[in-house]
Amino acid sequence: MKRQRNLVPRNQRSFLGVLTTLTTLIALGTLTGAGAQTPKVVNLTYWNWGVEGTQGQIDRFNASHPGIKVTWNKVPSSGFYDKLSTALKADNAPDVANIELQFLPTVISTGGLIDLNKYGVAAYKARFEPWVWNQVALGGSTYAIPTDLGPMGMLYRADLFKKYGVAVPKTWAEYASAASKLHAADPKLFITTFAPNDAGWFSGMAWQSGAKWFEISGDSWKVTINDSATKRVAQYWQDLIDKKLVKPGPIWADGWYNDLQTGEVATWLTASWGTGFLESFAPKTSGNWRVAPLPSWEAGKPAASNWGGSTTAVTKSSKFPKEAATFALWLGTDLKGSVKPLVKTGAWFPAVRGAMDNADLSLTSKFYGNQAVNRVFKNASRVVDTRFQWGPTMSQVYRDLQDGFGAAVNGKGNLSSVLDTVQESTLAAMRKQGFDVK
Amino acid sequence: MNSSLAHSKTFRRSRRNRIKATPYLFLLPFATLFTAFFLLPILYALEQSLFTQHRSGLGLGTPTVRFSGLSNYFDVFRDPVFYQGVGRVVLYGAVQIPTMLGLALLLALLLDTATVRFKNFIRMAAFAPYAVPSVVAALLWGFFYNPRFSPIVQVMQALGLGTPNLLGPDAIVFSLANIAVWQWTGYNTLIIYAGLQAIGPELYEAARVDGCTGIQMARFIKIPLVAPTLILTTIFSIIGTLQLFNEPLVLKQISNSISNVYTPNLYAYYTAFGNNNYNYAAALAVLLAFVTFVFSFGFLRLSNRAGDS
Repeated sequence: MKRQRNLVPRNQRSFLGVLTTLTTLIALGTLTGAGAQTPKVVNLTYWNWGVEGTQGQIDRFNASHPGIKVTWNKVPSSGFYDKLSTALKADNAPDVANIELQFLPTVISTGGLIDLNKYGVAAYKARFEPWVWNQVALGGSTYAIPTDLGPMGMLYRADLFKKYGVAVPKTWAEYASAASKLHAADPKLFITTFAPNDAGWFSGMAWQSGAKWFEISGDSWKVTINDSATKRVAQYWQDLIDKKLVKPGPIWADGWYNDLQTGEVATWLTASWGTGFLESFAPKTSGNWRVAPLPSWEAGKPAASNWGGSTTAVTKSSKFPKEAATFALWLGTDLKGSVKPLVKTGAWFPAVRGAMDNADLSLTSKFYGNQAVNRVFKNASRVVDTRFQWGPTMSQVYRDLQDGFGAAVNGKGNLSSVLDTVQESTLAAMRKQGFDVK
Repeated sequence: MNSSLAHSKTFRRSRRNRIKATPYLFLLPFATLFTAFFLLPILYALEQSLFTQHRSGLGLGTPTVRFSGLSNYFDVFRDPVFYQGVGRVVLYGAVQIPTMLGLALLLALLLDTATVRFKNFIRMAAFAPYAVPSVVAALLWGFFYNPRFSPIVQVMQALGLGTPNLLGPDAIVFSLANIAVWQWTGYNTLIIYAGLQAIGPELYEAARVDGCTGIQMARFIKIPLVAPTLILTTIFSIIGTLQLFNEPLVLKQISNSISNVYTPNLYAYYTAFGNNNYNYAAALAVLLAFVTFVFSFGFLRLSNRAGDS
């Protein structure tokens, strides 16, 4: 007798049935999705690392721009650029991202940012200080809108200087002698922490000294990290390290926060945004700190530099570049909704001109003994050297500087020789990546 | 008759085919995940390592990616940073692996003695550090090493022994090794202990009859018979050590002595995500895997030859 041959055995039949149903459901789902109307509200994502007041800015923007909804993704600052570059490579980066001035050329050279000139941003050039616009407009395109700056100054423990009868230094020579006087008076006290782990700080020192690490000449880059202006900074700090008058250590670390709190560090050479950070690091020292301009190399000739400062850029992953550009422009230039509220809280030193009126400049802070802190930084921002330019491999430059300084602080080599090494390694890295370097 | 014979043959064949498919269906989930998350990324890395990025002029745009054959590998061969990194992890391994396995062997032998009390508790206590995620462990030990918070430093200061700089360039290798020893000793103890259980008790009885003391039993019976397990744990340790990443990454935040390129893995990470040079990082990763293979295979060969002699 012929046996009935089931071409498809029973258990496999039910499996196939389930599979068919699932496939049909998925197909129907995508069809309905595709057939839906284009959304009336454009959704944008924005990345920054948690600047105070950001949520307020986003809410005000969303309220005043009914067709656009911005969502804020707070990405921690440690590893922020690593995450951004990975996202750019995977083409799922946020529509809009906060990028610091020093890393802007690096991100631009991944090809991940769009040229904002086609959205009419060039008309806003006059609203910013020329040195700032030079750092966002490169090679004929404008890649980002500046939001805030970090003019540098000196935060110092006025009470400790007074206690030990040391005058507040106005020149670097005075700073060095203050260092030895303070340390002699109290062996646990150091004038400041020399931080090998944040090359941004050292860049600011070199910038103030008149250094010109990178320069665009025509269609190629010129690199001089070990120029004489930077070398004098390196020799200055190496001298202080050798005499053990500064504390070598990582900043942005628990040990350093502790030192600030317990009064073992007398000054912090930092940017305007450092004032807010210091308040959160060392609340117990409230009222003891004041702000002064950075010591200068020549008496009577104040000079300043910038540390940090941010911009807002639009990435290639954005499906709505026009709306994203609108948001970026709003963040940097809208006085009422974006800039002034963050100036009031001290979170921003604004890049756009005319954002700080007399009232803002006269704002006093209890932490800083009722001193009008903004005015000091405003004066500093007027004497920032305008020629400083960032290179396209700042991640590599910073890390090589940091590694070299770390070794120097441990006795292997000195800061000057590190500059020579980094000059070589930067030239090599840039040439290897195909940049035209002279 | 012909047809029924043919029918029965096909029936038998189809039944055999149906039975053969089942084990493969069971393997399918593992095989899919293995291929997707292990094989494919390796193949992707191999492919990426054969290309390089090219720019021209100011380079302010997307770089072009061109096929360049083995040029990335030649660059790695000429890269002193890679060799320094490998040298560092070999030095680190030379400190950490014997210490850890020595401790693990000692603990396993102690656990195996009949007179040890609280056997279960000791086993749990030794194994507990393994349950701590390695990043958390590094953070914990970071506080122990930080001169401001460290009880170790405070005790030494109280005893008048000065302030040791556990994060300084002289001590950092030992400090890193210490974290790994703390974490992995228990794990290796359990593996060696399991190996010890496989030794037949008749051997011990015979040894006792011959008048062997405990220590002699350990030296002449237990350790030689547990040698294959030791070889296994050593190879695992070599593979793990050469890929050192977590502990230096975490301790880098608080120490001046750990550079961004301290280990080959850190170098590859920094090259990929800091320098956006994914192709060179892929070559570094492939060569690191090759170095790991050479070391572990070399050790296996060495121990086999020693075992034969």
